[in-house]
Amino acid sequence: MRKSHPIRRAVLAGAATVSGIVLLLSLKPASDPASAQAAGGAAPQQTAASQESPQGGSGQQTGAQTVTGDVAKTQYGSVQVRLTLSDGKITKAEAVQAPKGGLSDQKTAMSVPKLNQEAVAAQSAQIDAVSGATYTSGGYKQSLQSAIDKSKAASGAAGGSGSGGGSGSSSGSSAQARTVTGNVAQTQYGSVQVRLTLSGGKITKAEAVQAPKGGLSDQKTAMSVPRLNQEAVSAQSANIDAVSGATYTSAGYKQSLQSALDKAGG
Amino acid sequence: MTTVYEQQAPPVPIVRRSPAPLLPAVLWAGAAAVLALWWQNTGSVVGTAGRLTGAGRIAGLLCGYACAVLVGLMARVPLLERRIGSDRVSRWHAMAGRYTVCLLVAHIALIIAGYAAQDRVSLVHETLTVVLDYPEMIKATLGTVILFAVGVTSMRAVRRRTRHEFWYYVHLLTYAAVFLAFGHQLALGAEFAGNPLAQGFWYALYVGVAALVMWFRILAPVRLNLRHRLRVEAVHQEARGVWSVVVQGRRLDELGAEPGQFFRWRFLADGLRWTSTPYSLSAPPRPTRLRITVKALGDHSTSVALLRPGTRVWAEGPYGSLTADRRTTGKSLLIAAGVGITPLRALFETLPGEVTLLYRARSADDLALGGELEAIARWRGARVLYALNGADGSRPRLTPGALHGAVPELADHDVFLCGPPGFAEDMYEALRAAGIPDRRIHHESFEL
Repeated sequence: MRKSHPIRRAVLAGAATVSGIVLLLSLKPASDPASAQAAGGAAPQQTAASQESPQGGSGQQTGAQTVTGDVAKTQYGSVQVRLTLSDGKITKAEAVQAPKGGLSDQKTAMSVPKLNQEAVAAQSAQIDAVSGATYTSGGYKQSLQSAIDKSKAASGAAGGSGSGGGSGSSSGSSAQARTVTGNVAQTQYGSVQVRLTLSGGKITKAEAVQAPKGGLSDQKTAMSVPRLNQEAVSAQSANIDAVSGATYTSAGYKQSLQSALDKAGG
Repeated sequence: MTTVYEQQAPPVPIVRRSPAPLLPAVLWAGAAAVLALWWQNTGSVVGTAGRLTGAGRIAGLLCGYACAVLVGLMARVPLLERRIGSDRVSRWHAMAGRYTVCLLVAHIALIIAGYAAQDRVSLVHETLTVVLDYPEMIKATLGTVILFAVGVTSMRAVRRRTRHEFWYYVHLLTYAAVFLAFGHQLALGAEFAGNPLAQGFWYALYVGVAALVMWFRILAPVRLNLRHRLRVEAVHQEARGVWSVVVQGRRLDELGAEPGQFFRWRFLADGLRWTSTPYSLSAPPRPTRLRITVKALGDHSTSVALLRPGTRVWAEGPYGSLTADRRTTGKSLLIAAGVGITPLRALFETLPGEVTLLYRARSADDLALGGELEAIARWRGARVLYALNGADGSRPRLTPGALHGAVPELADHDVFLCGPPGFAEDMYEALRAAGIPDRRIHHESFEL
């Protein structure tokens, strides 16, 4: 029975643990290759964005129009959609109202970005409901339809025919549409790869064909990728905001998006 | 005096090596494997947020591993209880428990700080997000609260002020806490995402520990008590405040209990039913009888004196490593203080070779089992020495010199030591100073 020295032992254990952890952390490289490249690519992105903006951004400015749909009541709360249209095409869809509180927050976070993106891609209210958020999806489609109706009424016969048949406009775009897939960007949590659908030099759809998976990453991907897709479509460039809480995925997304844009331009 | 002991041992007994140094090595290797998991999964550590999160993950992984180890150490695995010693294992458990609570605090603080720095939001906001929005985190938070409660009720300052039963039942909640916290480890642990090997390792660890607990803490005791049907046969007073309880049962030789070992006893009588207490066998086990000797120290041990013959008894054991196979030489010195005499009384009768017993007590009235000790000494030609307080209340000085004077060839003895922690520590120092190496001092001490 050796004499025990509890204080000495505690100090030793604490010091050993702290120095062990510090040592482990310091042995790892202090910069992330993916984010370093993304940061390095930030400056060219700026110029690429400014070059592209004449066709994307300012074109949007001249013909841009915002329409807000009617409020659709659902069991869990109201849904209201606002569309930004440019030359009769939906360039941005967003929900100004969506169910809130409790589980609804989660369902809204999960479904609305996806619905927004679908609306832009489909150019109509014929979009798929997001599974697990059926009521929100129903309300969204209802409000979206009313917004499209309003925009048709406002822009007269030409606009009406342009977006009247969702199928018509999508088949029109598919005639000229092409798909470009960006390079794979490696992040700490997995690979990100972006595929763009372009129509007439404009991004009509952005999607991630690869994104971090597993554990917390599933959640972060579900949370960030739809938003990033939507941002890519509305910004028409890789100059998009990172989604907070998903910094690595955002950086990888931007990197792959930039490479897709480079390929599309070249 | 002639020795008439038929089982005379060979001069140099076979030494069974204790697995005591091996187990910590295995446990540390497991911790290293857990760190390797982090190492292999982590590409780089970027900026303050990355460092905080990284440190938080390491702390969390180690904490998750330590929780499994803590539960495993207390699973009453015979290898741990009989070869390493229950007292030692429970000291390891207490030490590791304090360390685990510290890791838990570090894990929570570092992860929240790291995530908050990454998302550029306040700590409060991030805490709410983590607890409320991340999967499995409500359960994990509940588990954390329970673990903190277990930690607080185990602190010495708190334990002294609360009842043993309160501490014990709060401690039992640890199982719930570990179960609640398990989900978030796999759902959120970056190291386990998309890594079936790591997940398999983690499941094996936890399922393995759960199986040990299920088997050795539940099924084995149930089997023992169904087989052996223990009941109180008689209660005798041995000395002032010291009582012996004789327990009868069937086929007790099949228990494999050895002199020097103890059982955890639960007497199914009012006031005793809910407490399980370790008491050493104070006589070698017989095929139909076991005897324990209890000193009235608290409520529990006092009410043992009032037990009626026929009372059902629930026992778990045998545990303890203070047995004859710890000897490395042919000569043994047994040193007992107070109620520490009980396991040594059993060993005094059965330990092969040349045996000397040194019994420390306050006064002759406090000597328990005195008559028996004398009888055994006469029967096997062994010596009993008493170290009592002087008439003026002065304590006997058990210095290295005094020990050498009392026990010839002291340095060639194995020493079996059992007594209150303060006494045992002082004796250990004196024995080392008297030239007895650590490996020949065998002690058992429960400091709770």
